[in-house]
Amino acid sequence: MKEVLVLEKISKSFGGIHALEDVDFSLLEGEVHALLGENGAGKSTLIKILTGVHQKDSGKIKLFGKDVKILNPVDARYKGIAAIYQELSLIEDLSVAENIFLGNEPTKDILGTVNRKELFDLASQKLKKFNIDINPSIKISELGMGQKRIIEIIKALAIDAKILLLDEPTTGMSKVEIETLFKIMKDLKKHNVTMIYISHHLEEVFSVCDRATVLRDGKNVKTFEVENLAIPDLVQAMIGRNLNDEFPKRRGKPGDGIIFSIKNFKSFNMKHEIDLDLKKGEILGISGIIGSGKSELALGLFGVDKKEKGKIYIENKEVNIKNPGDAKKEKIAFIPEDRKTQGLFLNQNLLLNLTVANMELVLNNGVINSRKRKELSTITAEKLKVKPLDLKMQAQNLSGGNQQKIVVGKWLCGVPKIIIFDEPTRGIDVGAKTEIYNLINELADKGTGIIIISSEFKEISGVCDRILVFRNGKVAKEMSAEEATTENILTVALGG
Amino acid sequence: MNENIIGINSSKGNKIRKLLKGELGLILILVVMLLVFSFLSPYFFTSRNLLNITRQVSITLIVAIGMTFIILTGEIDLSVGSVAALVGVATAFTLKQTGSIFVAILVGICFGAVLGLINGVITVYGKVQSFIVTLAMLGIARGIALVWTNGKPISQLPANFSAMGAGYIGPVPISTIIAACVFIAAYFYLNKTKHGVYIKSIGANREAAKLSAIPVNKYRLLVFIIIGCLAALGGIVTTSRLLSAQPTASEGLEMSVIAAVILGGASLSGGVGTVLGTLLGAMLIGVIDNGMNLIGVSSFFQQIVKGVIILVAVLAKREN
Repeated sequence: MKEVLVLEKISKSFGGIHALEDVDFSLLEGEVHALLGENGAGKSTLIKILTGVHQKDSGKIKLFGKDVKILNPVDARYKGIAAIYQELSLIEDLSVAENIFLGNEPTKDILGTVNRKELFDLASQKLKKFNIDINPSIKISELGMGQKRIIEIIKALAIDAKILLLDEPTTGMSKVEIETLFKIMKDLKKHNVTMIYISHHLEEVFSVCDRATVLRDGKNVKTFEVENLAIPDLVQAMIGRNLNDEFPKRRGKPGDGIIFSIKNFKSFNMKHEIDLDLKKGEILGISGIIGSGKSELALGLFGVDKKEKGKIYIENKEVNIKNPGDAKKEKIAFIPEDRKTQGLFLNQNLLLNLTVANMELVLNNGVINSRKRKELSTITAEKLKVKPLDLKMQAQNLSGGNQQKIVVGKWLCGVPKIIIFDEPTRGIDVGAKTEIYNLINELADKGTGIIIISSEFKEISGVCDRILVFRNGKVAKEMSAEEATTENILTVALGG
Repeated sequence: MNENIIGINSSKGNKIRKLLKGELGLILILVVMLLVFSFLSPYFFTSRNLLNITRQVSITLIVAIGMTFIILTGEIDLSVGSVAALVGVATAFTLKQTGSIFVAILVGICFGAVLGLINGVITVYGKVQSFIVTLAMLGIARGIALVWTNGKPISQLPANFSAMGAGYIGPVPISTIIAACVFIAAYFYLNKTKHGVYIKSIGANREAAKLSAIPVNKYRLLVFIIIGCLAALGGIVTTSRLLSAQPTASEGLEMSVIAAVILGGASLSGGVGTVLGTLLGAMLIGVIDNGMNLIGVSSFFQQIVKGVIILVAVLAKREN
């Protein structure tokens, strides 16, 4: 196989900080090459150099054997490099075929009238070539996330892309959709399409990639052949130390007292009534596939969705939660699933983000005590090992893992009794994940009741003391930590 | 105050650039303008003229502070000019009926609060964009003022009512003192109470604010009432200065007010803005108006110059 792309000693720095230092990278024709590393390792910078968003400071780029300069994203596209980002660029109201040939439609006369018949014919041909079973005449808005991403790929190929950059392509996709995507990627390989694959999900690397290059702190660590490789090797390369266990051992045990329980609880957004008990210091996992009703439960418990019926008890006392303010008074905290749209104030500084939910703690007779506010934020940020610890920094400038810590910290300074985590580690790197798990353990050891809602079965089985698997808005099964292997959860979640 | 200005980059050049984009940059532009006009007109840089400028901007500033709150929550209020005019009419009417300045002012402020409340309820609970709601109110309030007075000013108000708008304490205009009090109160409210933190958060991310247990709708409503009261105060000062309530007064006030807030660094998408910035923005507009008048620029030309200066200032401050 020949090398289609070679990067030699690529360096790039921003304001004196090295983002990339002498990075080498090579891409063989028709391979899927994973690019791995923690947040901040330099993956994004490398991708941005390849797509012409940033210019390298030094080094060489050889494309199909020739030295090239990639001037800007349009130039990159012109040279055959196409990036498929997490945010899709499809137009929802147009058909599949129109999207595939957007800006590149077959025309029939000098006025540029679109030849619609040819447009749909060409689109079917393209789809058939890669065995994709999607009707080219339906609107994008009718497709699922997985199908949309596939169309995005076909769109890139329609303009003769030779190298595809796939950035977290499985985000928001179901298991079945992921399988389909992988199958299509294998077909693409046969047609000599080369792919760079970026993902936080290491298992995916093993199912679909041929080689993997790991970056750390802006430098090459190693390029592996995936065939004779195991996850721990990759993790060690990524974080630079041996991570014995992704999930730290629980030291404590759940206590005896019930701290939180609900009876026949149902919000207007839930399909069925739910009962559950949570012990002091217990980590209760709630799992299930997307649409199983687990997030709706959290929104109901926190008073975001209106309650229809049922009762909530905290330490055996009935409480009335009508809105998030009531939930906060009862010492319930909620870490929502999407930190950017639901958790953080991105254009505000960390000081505001960390104290906004607990302003009462920093008031003196109704007036903000700035010293107290700073102290409280600093203590919380230190406890969570937020890096960099600069309270004046805006939340949007932090890495994903550190952003997640801020969302947790927002509640932590109020010392909650019950914390509901919805997808606590979505889209954050391995090191930060472990830190969050450690924190959850530590909180449970102090007697906090913890509910973790997650669609990552591995996480649920690795972290929780007890697991409820949801299906169609109901608890399908309760499992102990021992029973709850990834396979068992998946079987129940899918209806086995 | 500088919370929003200083960002991540620790390198020195970046820090200075960020500072220049914030309030410091505005102060610089203001100083340059002061120097230019002092050079062009011998009457400009006198204590009398400078105090005169503060008197001229006092009304814009009072209303602009209310607008800062609204814009911080990510909303807008286009009805301030009409509300000011209607409140002026209501105040003058009450003053004529009762003869009590105190009662008249109280009625005027309540009028403003109610109009703000109506804007707020329709925006927040009716879930209509504030741009639309207040655009409608702009027409309605102005219309009521015109119908009420039959289009004629209410004049011959008691002479002692003119103190607020036209009076002086020593060399200092009373309207300047009123504006200064509003500024100090707003500064304290925004920076030293939890309300200020909540208002900013709601503008920055309403969903996250809700999930942070902030009673979002209550605060959104509150800022509409606040701007209603401040627009009312602006209308009362205007009426006092003219010693007559004109149903056509304060036309276009919303534009100069919004210009001051945006010049001051606020973002129309919410969460970003300070009252100090608004003060500087209003002063800048005031200095330009006054200076151009003194050196005899035609009023037609003045509008163009003002527009260009606003564009240039906003372009210079935009994020890359």
